[in-house]
Amino acid sequence: MCRIYMTIGKEKNENIGYAFISPYIIFLLAFTAYPLVFSFYLIFHRWDLLTSPAFVGLDNFIFLLHDTQFWQALLNTLVFLLIHIPLQIFFSIIIAMVLAEKIFARTFFRAAFFLPVIISGAVVTILWQKLYATDTGIFNHLLSLIGISPVGWLTSTKIAMPAIAIMATWKNMGFYIILFLGGLLSIPGHLYEVSRIEGASRWQDFWRITLPLLRPTMLLVVVLSTFGAFSLFIEPYVMTGGGPLDKTMSVVLYMYKHAFLFQHMGYAATIGFALAIVILMVVLVQKKYLGKETEY
Amino acid sequence: MLSNLFTIFLLFSACNCQAVELLYWSSSNTEEIKLAKILVNEWNELHPDIHVKVQPIPATGSSEEILLSAIMSKTTPDICSNILPAIMGKFIESKAVVCLDRFKDSEKVIVDRTGTKLTDKFRSNNGKLCQIPWKSNPVMLAYNTEIFKSLKLKPPKTYSEFINVAKSINSDEDGNGILDHWAMKVSIKTVWYQRLFDFYPFYVAATGGKTLLEGDKAIFNNDGAIAAMKFFADGFKNRYFPMLGFSRDTFVDGKTAMSMVGPWIIEYYKRLNPNLKFDFAPIPVPDNHKGPVYTYGDPKNMVIFSTTKHPDEAWKFIKFLISKKADLKLLELTSQIPTRAHIADDAYFKSFFKKNPLLKKAARQADFVVPMDDSPHLIQILDIISRQFEAAAIYRVISPEKSMKMAAENVQNIYDYW
Repeated sequence: MCRIYMTIGKEKNENIGYAFISPYIIFLLAFTAYPLVFSFYLIFHRWDLLTSPAFVGLDNFIFLLHDTQFWQALLNTLVFLLIHIPLQIFFSIIIAMVLAEKIFARTFFRAAFFLPVIISGAVVTILWQKLYATDTGIFNHLLSLIGISPVGWLTSTKIAMPAIAIMATWKNMGFYIILFLGGLLSIPGHLYEVSRIEGASRWQDFWRITLPLLRPTMLLVVVLSTFGAFSLFIEPYVMTGGGPLDKTMSVVLYMYKHAFLFQHMGYAATIGFALAIVILMVVLVQKKYLGKETEY
Repeated sequence: MLSNLFTIFLLFSACNCQAVELLYWSSSNTEEIKLAKILVNEWNELHPDIHVKVQPIPATGSSEEILLSAIMSKTTPDICSNILPAIMGKFIESKAVVCLDRFKDSEKVIVDRTGTKLTDKFRSNNGKLCQIPWKSNPVMLAYNTEIFKSLKLKPPKTYSEFINVAKSINSDEDGNGILDHWAMKVSIKTVWYQRLFDFYPFYVAATGGKTLLEGDKAIFNNDGAIAAMKFFADGFKNRYFPMLGFSRDTFVDGKTAMSMVGPWIIEYYKRLNPNLKFDFAPIPVPDNHKGPVYTYGDPKNMVIFSTTKHPDEAWKFIKFLISKKADLKLLELTSQIPTRAHIADDAYFKSFFKKNPLLKKAARQADFVVPMDDSPHLIQILDIISRQFEAAAIYRVISPEKSMKMAAENVQNIYDYW
């Protein structure tokens, strides 16, 4: 009898448990699982939102392989990645190290560096568009003070993507500074004390202790930055529209164009899946080289 | 007492049940919202049995994207007055709009107002009318009259005249090697609709009123298109058009002396710079051009969406919106031209045009306009042209001839593949 009561009680508890997790399950099914499955279905279809999807087999893949604009967009995204990630890591570590010290108004500076992260991406982009403006932008004004002609920050094929990468670095750096700061503060202080007794310089401390022990944080930062860089959208969408001559067209912006401007939902889904595969490959390579554990 | 209250309640409920509710999406610019509100208030006062609620189209990007989303989610209003005729093909194919042959008087009402020739341009492939021609904004050459007067110039009619005028206008006042004044404002943005306000009107003018397609065939790889593209390439090369990413409208600031705009700009310029003095002229054409100068009409039409439960009432309301009285309000409040045949000579509008000579010029030009082709691939086609414009005119990495050849091939590929 007692056993029966216990079973009933257990079932009741389980039901309550399910009730608690049901909002998350519903959310996951509706906004992650369903779109993922539907996108996979769309890869093999042509769909313009208004009429019924038509099965096209592997046509979308074949089109993708021959689509020079897609490959240009992928190349642009990789260029952005190669500029943005090193810049971001370099400045984040430097600033995090400064902010880890007992400097004047440290809390203020920590908050100040984090501020761009919480400002809307669209607002930041519009603000930087004004700074980059060829005629009235502050950057060209400063250059003119030292006798340099105006630079087409967003109109030059060579400068536009680096200019966007600099802006994106400024916008996201605060988040990575916090991660590095956490990593720095978790390094045991006695390691530095021992190294000092052994006569090591601060430079040697950095190379032999700080950097190796920041490796897990570095991997996290690199992986998160890679995801962020591959999802580059709002900056070229607002600032350049993908120009000049497609040099700032990112894969996500190209996917958006096909999905929501041309209503090629099937092809856009194919671009999305191709991008997911590229991201997976890049992250696996990063993990291979940065994922080694360091112990002292 | 209670029974009296009950009777009043019943009567009130009955009145509410009889009133038909219509939702009308207007364009979201300030002037058109004002116009829509005035017209709707007037209608509601006159027709207590058909209550119309007006709402600006909830557009964050282009209204076409919003309308497609609304059609897909079946949240379209009863009526919308911001329809680009070129995307009607998609709407008709998906049965999203009510075709007007279900209303007995529709053909007469529309042809009487718009004229047979222009009405036919808005018919769908099966000959049916599924949109109500409403207004157009013929794209013309706006020129700063003070700059032209001070330099003793006349608005250019041909490409050669344009070059001569441009040479006089371009100037580096402070001698620092950077130009301070340019001949004409041309956007260097590659967004698809931008070419409707530079390359396309020049193409239409140069070809004597041709559009881009004939059925499913791209027909724009022709002399007119190449001449127009060459015109822009030379303009950018000789710096008649600024390549700088300006943060303001250079025509309003007086930095450029010409701009390609529709008459709607009058109200906008009044707000930005009330002292700006300008006039309209037809789009310049190649030197050997003969015949009238056509341009892009930038038409916007009305539709009744098939989600409506009250198509007859919606049609009644639309007839009110395209009445002469409403058309006069459209002119007065928005500076846009009703799609009404020979409106410049219509006695009803005579006194208005007398007071507004700028709009009279636009109204005269409205008799020589073409719309954009109705194609399900319109945005992609304009995107292709825009990218070729960037390559051939702005950055000049390919020749105008090659750009037009490539654009036509790419457009044909769209039809073959998509």
